Formats: sequence, structure tokens, C-alpha cells
Amino acid sequence: MRTIEEVQATLQIAKLKEEDFHPTVHCLSFGEHVSSGDYCLMELDETLCKHIEAGKSLTIRGDKEEHAVLCSEDKTYDLKIADTSNLLLFIPGCETPDHFPRDQSAPNLVHAQVWGFSNNYWELRRQHPRLKKLKKLLMEKPYAGLLAGVEEGSDGNTLRYTMEDLLDRIQASEKEILSQLQDIHACEIDGYWRILDFDYEMKLLGHVTQLVDSESWSFSKVPRSVSLQELGPLEPKEMIEHCLNCYGRRYTDEDREVYFALDEDKVCQAMAQMLLQNAVKFNLAEFLEVWQQSVPEGMTTRLDQLRSIALVDRSSRPETISLLRVEDLPEDTLERFSCLFSMREKWTEEDIVPYIQDLCGEKQTTGALLTKYARSSMQNGRKVYNSRRPVAT
Amino acid sequence: MVQIVVSSVGNSPGEWLLVELQGEMMSRQNAGLAGNLMGDLHYTKEGIPVLIVGHHILYGKQVKLEKPFAVLVKQSGLPQGADVSMESSVQSPTVYTVSALIKKKLIFKTRPKPIITNVPKKV
Repeated sequence: MRTIEEVQATLQIAKLKEEDFHPTVHCLSFGEHVSSGDYCLMELDETLCKHIEAGKSLTIRGDKEEHAVLCSEDKTYDLKIADTSNLLLFIPGCETPDHFPRDQSAPNLVHAQVWGFSNNYWELRRQHPRLKKLKKLLMEKPYAGLLAGVEEGSDGNTLRYTMEDLLDRIQASEKEILSQLQDIHACEIDGYWRILDFDYEMKLLGHVTQLVDSESWSFSKVPRSVSLQELGPLEPKEMIEHCLNCYGRRYTDEDREVYFALDEDKVCQAMAQMLLQNAVKFNLAEFLEVWQQSVPEGMTTRLDQLRSIALVDRSSRPETISLLRVEDLPEDTLERFSCLFSMREKWTEEDIVPYIQDLCGEKQTTGALLTKYARSSMQNGRKVYNSRRPVAT
Repeated sequence: MVQIVVSSVGNSPGEWLLVELQGEMMSRQNAGLAGNLMGDLHYTKEGIPVLIVGHHILYGKQVKLEKPFAVLVKQSGLPQGADVSMESSVQSPTVYTVSALIKKKLIFKTRPKPIITNVPKKV
């Protein structure tokens, strides 16, 4: 082992004065496993660092075709290897002057070993998890009520997924998966997560809205117990309650009674989807009229409720409207833009923003996305966006 | 889909120091680095790190990392010394443990100053 005298001699040969330096010197050598260990460096952000310090674990999820992602309990990060032209050495037990004990005067030799070294590290970038696969999996066998037929396949392959199954197949954190399940109105039946067949979901909603109308209730005060009692004979109570939870907000009033406040926007959106899904496009004026009539008494339909659900064509005569849901579009940014531009050559910002909003990364604006993936021009005094690359027609 | 768990050892992993150097580390006799001396790390009274490696003096500076690093060590799937039966087809998932966190580094970027050791002997 190197001695303090040898260190001092080296300083002398190097023509450096001992008095210019701190008395603590670290004598560095290479550890036994420096070249043989299976290790790597991973870059963290503040959140992940605190996560690890709290003793929580992370999961890396990946497939042969997919990139690998890192998931905490509620966030997903893209994982990439970054190379550096420099050499990174990591050393335990090596201190910096701000941590040295005060009032040191005697020379102090500390032996420290370089535990490992690397010229690359794992880089993490926070991203929107790829959740489209989740709906695709659940759509393999939508739930259409008890009368819809046998649930299990003959070979026991039920095409149904538990949360564990989903975590095994979807590159996202559990919380993000749960949030998406809520958004698509999925519910847990017999331990399996199921998406409702759309017609069945509308049937349930129809039962609820018809009851509200016939009882002349305010749609903000739909009593839970009476609803379940009246509609129970028609459909399982759990499904009625699930419908009320999807389309309303549950609350308890001063009399300790449980009510649901139906969400006007959600109900109107569902009715619009029901009307629009049966044809390629509709006459806008006719649609608006029928749509208003289809929603419960007291609710008002508004075109802005249909942002990211339907697209209006104001250039055609008569003006038309068609179903276009952002969740049906490609998840990948480049593919999304290609798809949108193949549908329509030029888009106004107002029309396109609802269909690209979800692509924005952390601290990224739709404006930045448009600058990057589209080209702008003026048409009839308005700014429009079109594709940067030739689109196959 | 492959799932790999990254977990911490105990509660809070210790903190290590990162030293960033330009170029490569080569051992003199090409016998590998393990066990060999690397150099002496000094700090000036102003806190500037000075590394003496072989015939070179490197001057650097201390930097707080904007993004800290975690040192991940791959654990082999099998417990050490366990008797693995041939019928066992259950594969233990791969686990990486966080051995340490790195929040600051010493970066040595200036051109190494060579040490001239062939000093003519005093007559």
C-alpha cells in the first residue's frame, strides 16, 4: 500500500508544494471487480432519485420489438443508452473538501478504490406511456351483459385480462394503466378488466337517462338507491352503478343520501358518438338538431364538447360532421401526422390541435409540434398546416 | 414481455463520487486494471481537485450533477450455492440493485501536465 511519504515524494517530483494542498489525500487504486462486474450507470431525475432513496423499486419492461421503458408506480420513462467520449469512474468512500472534517493539520492518507468505470450510461426520458395496446387487448372480448352468451372459450382461453396480465403486456406504470382503464370506462368483473361493448354501454346509459326523464329528476341529483331499484330488473346492479360512475360524479347530501350528478359533457359526447358512428358523415345542421333532442331534458349540446371526437367540414356544401376520435388514431407522432394529413390536406390550428394535444411531451406545446412536423401557409387569410413530406394518396 | 426489477439495497443507498476523465485508462503491463494503483487525488486549499496519474498532473473542478446517477449491479437469478434441480423451469426474474447514488463529480478536462522525472543528478 502506498505510504504518505511516497505521496509526498510524488508531489515533490511534480513540483507541487504540499502547503498549497489540503492535508487529506486520496490514494486511488482499482478494485478487484472493476473489469468483471455486471454493472452500469443510470441517469435519474429528481423524482426518481427520491423514489430510490425512499427504498421503492422500479421495473424495466420491454419486448423484442418494443423499446425498453422504465416504470415507477405512476410514471413511465423511455430507456436509451447514451455514449460519452469521456471515461466515468465511480468511487466509494471518496470525499470532497466540503465534507472534510474541519481543523485538519496532519497529513491524512485515505485509500479509496475505483469500484467501476464506464463510457456510457442509461438515459431516461419521461414519456406518455403507450397505452393504445390496452384498449386493443380489452376489445378482444368486450363485455355485453349477462345475456350476451358464454364468457369462457372452450379451451379455457378466456381472452380476459387481470391487472397482473396487463402489467405483463403493457409498457406503463400501474397508476397510468388504472387511469386509462377509467378513461375507457372499463370495469373489473370477476377479477378481470373488461371494456363494455359500446351498444351495451349506450343501453345502460339509455336506461339511466330515461329514468331521469320519466321521474323528472334534475340530472344533477340522481338518487342511487332508487335508480338501482328501478333498473335492477333490467341489468345487473353493478353495471348500472358502473354506468352512473362513468357518466356522473357520486356525492352524499346533508340527509346522508347518495346521489350522482350526471356530467353533461360526457353524456352529450356519448350521444353524439352513438349518432355519428353509423355513417361516414352527416349533414351538420341535421345532426345538431337530432343531437340536442337525444340528450336528457335540461342538458345542452355544444359543438366544442366534440373536440377530439368529431370533425366538422366547413368547406363542403352543406357543411358536414363525421366521427373522428383521437384514440382511434396512431400513437406514434410521425404516423399520427401522416394519418391526419392523408385525411385532410390542410388543417387550421383550431381543427388539428385536439388531435395532437396528447402527443406533447413534457413542457412541449402543440405549436412546437406543428413547427416540427408540419408546414404552414396562408389560405383565405387564415393560417393552415399541411404535411412536410409527400403523402401517399 | 421481459420485466426486470430495479431495487434498492436496504433503505437509502450510499453516495459515491464520480470522476470524469478524458481518454482511456491503460495499465502499464497490459495486465488489466484490477488491483493496480491509479493515482493520487489532492485538493488545493481552494478546493480544486488535482489528480496525479502516472506522469501527468490533471487539474479539474467539482460539479454538482444536474441529473444524479444510480449505480446498478446485476444480480444473478440464482441464489448463491443453491442446488438447482434440473426439473425446475421457473426462471428467476433478472434483478438490478442500486448499489449507490452519485450526486456530484470531479471532472478533469484540462490538458494533462506532464511530470518530467528525468531530473539531472546534482553533481
